[in-house]
Amino acid sequence: MCMAVPSKVVAVDGQMATVEAFGQTRQTSLLMIEEDVRVGDYLVLGAGGTFAAEKVSEETALAAIDYLSQVLADGLA
Amino acid sequence: MFTEASLHVTMRVDGPSVRTVLVRSTRMVQAARLFAGKQPAEVLQLLPAVFSLCGTAQALTGLAAMEKAAAIAASPAQKAARSLLLLGESVSEHGLTVARDWPLLAGAAPSLDHAKRLRHALAGLRAALYPDGDWLHLGGGQLRPDTARINTIVGQCRDTLTQLIGHDLDELMQPIAFMAWLQRESNPLLALVTNRCWQGLGAGAAFLPMPELGPPDLSARLQTDREGIYLARPDCAGRVFETGPLAHWHWHPLLTDLTDRFGTGLLTRLAARLVLLAESLREMDEHRHDLRGEPAAPLPRLDGQGLALTEAARGLLAHRVVLKEGLVGQYQILAPTEWNFHPEGALVRMLTGAPADQDLELRARLLVHALDPCVSCTVAVE
Repeated sequence: MCMAVPSKVVAVDGQMATVEAFGQTRQTSLLMIEEDVRVGDYLVLGAGGTFAAEKVSEETALAAIDYLSQVLADGLA
Repeated sequence: MFTEASLHVTMRVDGPSVRTVLVRSTRMVQAARLFAGKQPAEVLQLLPAVFSLCGTAQALTGLAAMEKAAAIAASPAQKAARSLLLLGESVSEHGLTVARDWPLLAGAAPSLDHAKRLRHALAGLRAALYPDGDWLHLGGGQLRPDTARINTIVGQCRDTLTQLIGHDLDELMQPIAFMAWLQRESNPLLALVTNRCWQGLGAGAAFLPMPELGPPDLSARLQTDREGIYLARPDCAGRVFETGPLAHWHWHPLLTDLTDRFGTGLLTRLAARLVLLAESLREMDEHRHDLRGEPAAPLPRLDGQGLALTEAARGLLAHRVVLKEGLVGQYQILAPTEWNFHPEGALVRMLTGAPADQDLELRARLLVHALDPCVSCTVAVE
């Protein structure tokens, strides 16, 4: 599946952000995001993670992370 | 550690050509099993959150499957609103591809401004239809279409795509106009394909388009797929269909013309993306006339099983759900990538026997792009 892990923004530098998900950090471009992005926001990244695709609410992100944690725990990832 | 799913294509060369093509997938095709035991509404909230590229299609296909299971018939206005959302996502995805990925594949600068304008315009579509945000309500949410706003959104998409392509998209659907546009080299990727004479790349392989209503044995195969083998490697009596823009629109006059000239190769596949964009905008125009205001539907008891199919941006998407006493008992998702990147699927058919020259890896990347996987995909030559 093209499942995406919502990633938490830990740093913003211009049009680039450092995001974290499941203990992994990486850089992503904010060029495709219209809204203001701040540290603590959650982003869904496009395939490959080069570009952030969407900003999602904390509630939605945490629900998705909880589900994906179950996927990981059940060995389905 | 949660690793993002991906595809890995390895071409094994023997002498002058590719002898075998191996496709390894780490896609989580059985992850939807964990929806079992959840409330349908909870699953419908999760679907757009965990699917990065086609969240709207995933959620709407899930909604349709649950409605079938519960014998709920959505009204024509609700169906029109959902079609608008689905088509909007396809326009956003393929517009992004043309604006961002096509120039990058040709070594040119991406047109990110156009991609952003498309996304920005379409981001307002849900609110223009369902201002209360209940677009995933079973039976249909509170539909209050803002016709003026929807007209503006469709108009902005059309204008942005015209500027991006440098030609009116509808006119470009005429074969004569398309060939003239192609010769002007107004698009860097299509210019690369033309200059290198790669229009017919992959055209020698068998073209097996997905039937319009999906594989005839889909429901039976899903019902008996206890181990998830079919979900990972689907087939229909041994045939592995191709799904996506060319499979869906192969009868379109522009694509039949290009197929006559170049076969179902790279150029025809790339042109199918443009056909999908033009036809999606035309269909969005049509669906606008079927919209009308409606209150949210009351929720009935949810029991039964349902299978729903959607032509998503990358092809046929299937969701099957079993509802028991108001909860999800079983959930399966079959996505287009499992067909197109099957070990015996369209990509493998197109690459097997390909000349093993210095351009092989680039040509393989272009064919991977033409089939449009929904996860990242590496290509290697051994």
